[in-house]
Amino acid sequence: MLNRKSIASKLLALALGFAIIEIADAATPETKDTKPQTNQEKKLVKTSAKPIALKPLIESKVLSAIIDDEISKKIKEEKVTPSAKSTDAEFQRRAYLDIIGRIPTSSETTSFLENTTPDKRVKLVDDLLADDEFGKHMADIWQSLLLPRISDNRRVQTEPLTLWLEKHFNVNTGWDQITKELLTSTGPQDENGSITYFISNASVDKMTDSVSKLFLGVQLQCAQCHNHPFVDWKQNDYWGLAAFFMKVQAKPPGGKDTSSPTVTEGKGLNKNKKTLPEAAKFVPATFLASGEATLNTAEPYRPVLANWLTSKTNPFFSKAMVNRVWAQYFGKGLVDPIDDMHDGNPATHPELLEALATQFSASNFDLKFLIRSICNSETYQRSSKPNASNKETDIALLARMPIKNMTPEQLFDSLTTVLGAASNADKKLGKVKAAKNQPKGARAQFVTFFLPEEGTSALSYETGIPQILRLMNSPQMNTTIIIQRLVDKNTDTKTAIEKVYLSVLNRMPTDEESSRMTNFLSQATDKNKGLGDMLWVLLNTSEFTLNH
Amino acid sequence: MNNELIGGLHRRDFMKLGAMGVGGVSASGWMNVLAGHAAETQAKHKSCILLYMSGGPSHKDTFDLKPDSDGAGEFKPIATNVSGIQISEHFPKFSKWMHKSALLRGMSTGEGAHARASYFLHTGYKEGQGGLTYPSLGAIASMETGNPLLPIPNFVTINGGRSYGSGYLGSKHQPLNIADASKGVANLGALVGDNQFNSRVSLLNEMEKAFLKDYSSEAGVAHQTTYQRAVTMMKSAQAKAFDISGEPSNLRSEYGSGKFGEGCLLARRLIETGVRFVEVNLGGWDTHENNFERVKSLSAQVDAGMSTLISDLNQRGLLDSTLIVWMGDFGRTPKINQRGTKPGRDHYPKAWTSVMVGGGIKGGQVIGKTDKQGATVEERPINTIDFMSTACSVLGIDYTKQVQTPIGRPIRIVEKGANPIKELLA
Repeated sequence: MLNRKSIASKLLALALGFAIIEIADAATPETKDTKPQTNQEKKLVKTSAKPIALKPLIESKVLSAIIDDEISKKIKEEKVTPSAKSTDAEFQRRAYLDIIGRIPTSSETTSFLENTTPDKRVKLVDDLLADDEFGKHMADIWQSLLLPRISDNRRVQTEPLTLWLEKHFNVNTGWDQITKELLTSTGPQDENGSITYFISNASVDKMTDSVSKLFLGVQLQCAQCHNHPFVDWKQNDYWGLAAFFMKVQAKPPGGKDTSSPTVTEGKGLNKNKKTLPEAAKFVPATFLASGEATLNTAEPYRPVLANWLTSKTNPFFSKAMVNRVWAQYFGKGLVDPIDDMHDGNPATHPELLEALATQFSASNFDLKFLIRSICNSETYQRSSKPNASNKETDIALLARMPIKNMTPEQLFDSLTTVLGAASNADKKLGKVKAAKNQPKGARAQFVTFFLPEEGTSALSYETGIPQILRLMNSPQMNTTIIIQRLVDKNTDTKTAIEKVYLSVLNRMPTDEESSRMTNFLSQATDKNKGLGDMLWVLLNTSEFTLNH
Repeated sequence: MNNELIGGLHRRDFMKLGAMGVGGVSASGWMNVLAGHAAETQAKHKSCILLYMSGGPSHKDTFDLKPDSDGAGEFKPIATNVSGIQISEHFPKFSKWMHKSALLRGMSTGEGAHARASYFLHTGYKEGQGGLTYPSLGAIASMETGNPLLPIPNFVTINGGRSYGSGYLGSKHQPLNIADASKGVANLGALVGDNQFNSRVSLLNEMEKAFLKDYSSEAGVAHQTTYQRAVTMMKSAQAKAFDISGEPSNLRSEYGSGKFGEGCLLARRLIETGVRFVEVNLGGWDTHENNFERVKSLSAQVDAGMSTLISDLNQRGLLDSTLIVWMGDFGRTPKINQRGTKPGRDHYPKAWTSVMVGGGIKGGQVIGKTDKQGATVEERPINTIDFMSTACSVLGIDYTKQVQTPIGRPIRIVEKGANPIKELLA
């Protein structure tokens, strides 16, 4: 540990090669220019498109050390004391929620807490990454990013894409390959789930907005109609990227043709005015900030874009994903907003972003490698409990672990983990007749009901009153009945209290809590009723709902 | 902690209070400030009921009939109680309220796809513009004119449909959605008796306090606040407004027995209780086919629901302080299409009509004029931001005000260049 500081620059050099010097060069000029520009000044923030360097891959634990060095450096500069290392219970609950999207069961909790192997955290991260629930959780996240919930998509079947994503995340297909397949997807939906992406972004401008946000980490949409006011994105940048999608033909669901929705890339340009916005410009296909593309009009255009976009040296692609994954684990990107990456909006830790992007690229875009490196870092394993020194400091300093709100999927899966018999709850909820155009199945309905507005920060709790009424008062929360399944009626009070704590909060009660709850139960008319009350209370706490 | 106290404070202020540990402090000081603020708000601002016609009603078959045009349609115009103003024969009850109403016949709004048009008309901004999610008028009214002491949300939507929520204004101004007016708020009642529920809530408060003490966070404070608001609402007398079952049966039948009539009745109860903005949705106006039968039946629902709402509010002395807006996604094509045996009309955002009633506006007038075919606006065109700025002005909202988004971007309530309809403002 002690010599880590001294080797910090060496570590970084290992990941970056000469990139450090390049960064220093890039960072020195125009610090003034990072302030938002007024229109009068007409000085736009230049966005550099520096290629990612090709470097040899380093070990995951070395990358974890780099993360810690870069984060610690800034914490020290600010003279802040970071929070203590998380307890096993804190770490386990966090890792479960972040990696597989649900809290652990009470028996998973007990077995981890009782495990005395020294490297049990490393082992847990590996086990969770190998679990099929990893792919399911990643698919939840990416399905909602790839398929905008707009009224035009109400008839789109989302399941084919979800299953397709789940499979690829679980076998750890490289992010470049997943992206390439999504971008060039062709054929009917019942044979190729990935075409759902095009079906759900079924116009040239929607596709351009989505690709630039998700895979390039930039917001080009302003430039659809006018040159961007603060960043030097020109209308030609937008329509130059859009040009790659001009030959795509999507047959969406609905209408009289009941065959599977299909995406094809025809020969002719899709210049149908109806499908293009008024501001549409026809300019040569251009790689964003990287020059014109050479296209053969007889060939499909999208593979040309996909090859450039997913190359190891692409200036945007690796950074965009690294930043997204970082935000998934820490609640906020190194660049925030997550998809607004340009020189006027620098990363909180630019060298770390560069190192992570270089290594993600060197790993052939291995997501499990990236996530493993994050989760095994001290930074990720810090407690979210602030101390006197870091209580008021910017959360982006990561002197303490940020506290995140659960996504609707995490909340549903965690609730069913506790309430037991997910299938049971599902059956019950499934009986509720789905309203017209509403998703079928309890989980999908729950998710729709709890869905926050797009762009809501994971660090803020934006759940509304109707949702809270449901968590408190819906028949599925009938804890007086549920407690009978959870705790055997012959269990002694102390064990029963522990069981409820382990199931809901994934930790043992403190002595103080134990005696408070014993007192609470003694006031109940019968113990079962009291335990039901206690279960209801714990399920409605911040501690349950927040990923801390 | 006093729940009502929290309602009136801006979230940031509240967090500051939380951070300062003043949760348990006597509420009286703040209460006075808030009560004063509430009284001021009540005097200056007005409430609003938006009757939103999803799908886009045909202007030529409702409020801008052109009997001598191509594609005039089947309906006959009738006189109203204001001489010279005629409307469709299917609004006989509403025709008696023309003196309190204004027909805006110069609507011209550009967006011709349902979702985008509806978003634009609810928020005043185009969907996706500048990468933001914009608040709808109801959320703006909740923020600017809402009564902070009210234990129920200041923005309520009835009968589904998309109202587009609070966007960057955050959860405090999200609408409470009522799927079915006859059933009220879902899950409003506790699963257990009062005593048991109270004992649960008090234990929950203890646990929340303990957790927040150790793990202070923005999300944790917001969690606690929202729970307290929900519990306050459950226990409040105002929540009884959601139950329309006690309304006299003759009044209920005047409103109409369908979901729309029930929605209008519930809207009146909520406005009476102090809710600032209620949106009632009526879908089915997308009449590409079978236009005339469908518009006739929908008009009957509007005539009963809206006219009874007007007279009911008027009787209770609330009409002049409550603006009723009737509008849809857009108008429909002046010509009748050739679809099937029962043809209809297609989307038409270029020229259409919306209606404003009450709210202290100058009634008995028609603003704007379309040509003989009902196809283009010839006088006083009203685009979306003109319309938004007018509605805001009537409600007492400064539409030029800049609101900070969560990342500190200043956004005007209504974009620059709006030209509100001065003739309406009495």
